[in-house]
Amino acid sequence: MHIMEGFLPWQWCLFWYIVALPVVAYGVIQMKKITDKNPESKPLLAVSGAFIFILSSLKLPSVTGSCSHPTGTGLGGVLFGPAITSVLGAIVLLFQAILLAHGGLTTLGANIFSMGIVGPVVAWLVYKGIQKAGGHPLLGIFFAAALADLMTYVTTAIQLSLAFPVPSFAAAFNNFMYIFAITQIPLAIAEGLLTVVIFDYIMKLKPDILENLKVIAPKVKEKIQAVV
Amino acid sequence: MFENTLDNYAHNNGLKDTNTLFKVLFAISTMLVSLISTSPVVPLTITLVMSFLIIFQAKIPWKFYLKFLFIPFIFAFITFIFMAIFFGVGAHVLELGIFNLAVTADGFNRGFLVFARIMGGFTCLAFLALTIPMTELFSELERLKIPQIVLEIAMLMYRYIFVFLDEAMNMYHAQETRMGYISLKKSFKSMGMLGSNLFIRTWFKGEKSYLAMQSRCYDGSIKTLKEPEELRSIGAHNFSLLITFEALLLVGVYLTGSFRIF
Repeated sequence: MHIMEGFLPWQWCLFWYIVALPVVAYGVIQMKKITDKNPESKPLLAVSGAFIFILSSLKLPSVTGSCSHPTGTGLGGVLFGPAITSVLGAIVLLFQAILLAHGGLTTLGANIFSMGIVGPVVAWLVYKGIQKAGGHPLLGIFFAAALADLMTYVTTAIQLSLAFPVPSFAAAFNNFMYIFAITQIPLAIAEGLLTVVIFDYIMKLKPDILENLKVIAPKVKEKIQAVV
Repeated sequence: MFENTLDNYAHNNGLKDTNTLFKVLFAISTMLVSLISTSPVVPLTITLVMSFLIIFQAKIPWKFYLKFLFIPFIFAFITFIFMAIFFGVGAHVLELGIFNLAVTADGFNRGFLVFARIMGGFTCLAFLALTIPMTELFSELERLKIPQIVLEIAMLMYRYIFVFLDEAMNMYHAQETRMGYISLKKSFKSMGMLGSNLFIRTWFKGEKSYLAMQSRCYDGSIKTLKEPEELRSIGAHNFSLLITFEALLLVGVYLTGSFRIF
């Protein structure tokens, strides 16, 4: 979904920067709060970031000045909330632009918005919703990760067709969505499954951290520990 | 791994002693010029100039550079074809004869412009990626008053990416020597095990290194010997060179603004 350097006209570059910056700034404040309170969450934050980096570097070409790949932001979104994950996403995208020349500096704002903001917000909402409805945390994490991935691509398709509304916004949107849908639905399901396996491990090995971050309820933790 | 060799080149290239700030300013301002140009001429010029600098000044082996450039080139080219066919209105230039598809002049021009801009922007990014090591970029970011916590997480993340790759390679070799990839079914099973263990193992390793750092007085920033460079250290000669180059490009953008192939 990384929109390539130079693909967007400069007006849209600026627009997406302006949209993305306040969220990232809020995320930085949140991040400072969490790490001041418990500094031991720093390695987990950084590992989640590295996880996003690795997953979103596994790109497949798709025909639109962009590409298809898993995003990895669902896990971060559920663990730390959307605001902090947007900061992680911003750092990852900056690294990818500078280190791998993947994505771009001028399109950074647009990429942060789709991968760093929309994805985690969707993941967080879906996870909380399924928790409220009384679903199992693993069910929640599967749908959170898969839908976060899919919605990221829908956002990218919207961004691309807003920038090139030829012949009309709807027609361009259809073209972009059609191509993304082929590659992205299997990838989203695969990412959902991978995230479930990882989350399962974290629940078994380090339930305390999840409880501190208010991801799972204390009752669930007791149940897991009884099983282990 | 690919990242490793890129990092190696960033640390060992012909331009490694050039002022970091100068290189950053040069790449970013050129990128911006490429972005605002409305004709393909200037971005393609930028592509050539940047490639020249990377191969002959930074002395990056041209084979490696072309391989590095190949993927985005394919991306850009596919985009170009896609836009030429689907993103145009008006007169048809070339009938394809199947599905009633045709290349339009409007779509062709737009596609070619985007293609040129992608190549221009990409070569600027490649210049940054291939000539500046990450550690020096961090000291530049510190000057921009980016909050300490963000830099700290970014630095840890940078380290963990390599831990991730390292762990993945180790586990992959361990599985391979135990016939983990002998059949398709086994490969799937092994891949699953690798994927799920990777996150946890990296996390534990990261935690260990974090504890090790904390017991050695780590307070959120890694101190390096290199002093951050002053804006003045670029030197009048280089600075005027930079201004002249960008001004020439801007004049080029203005003069070729309405240039079209069709």
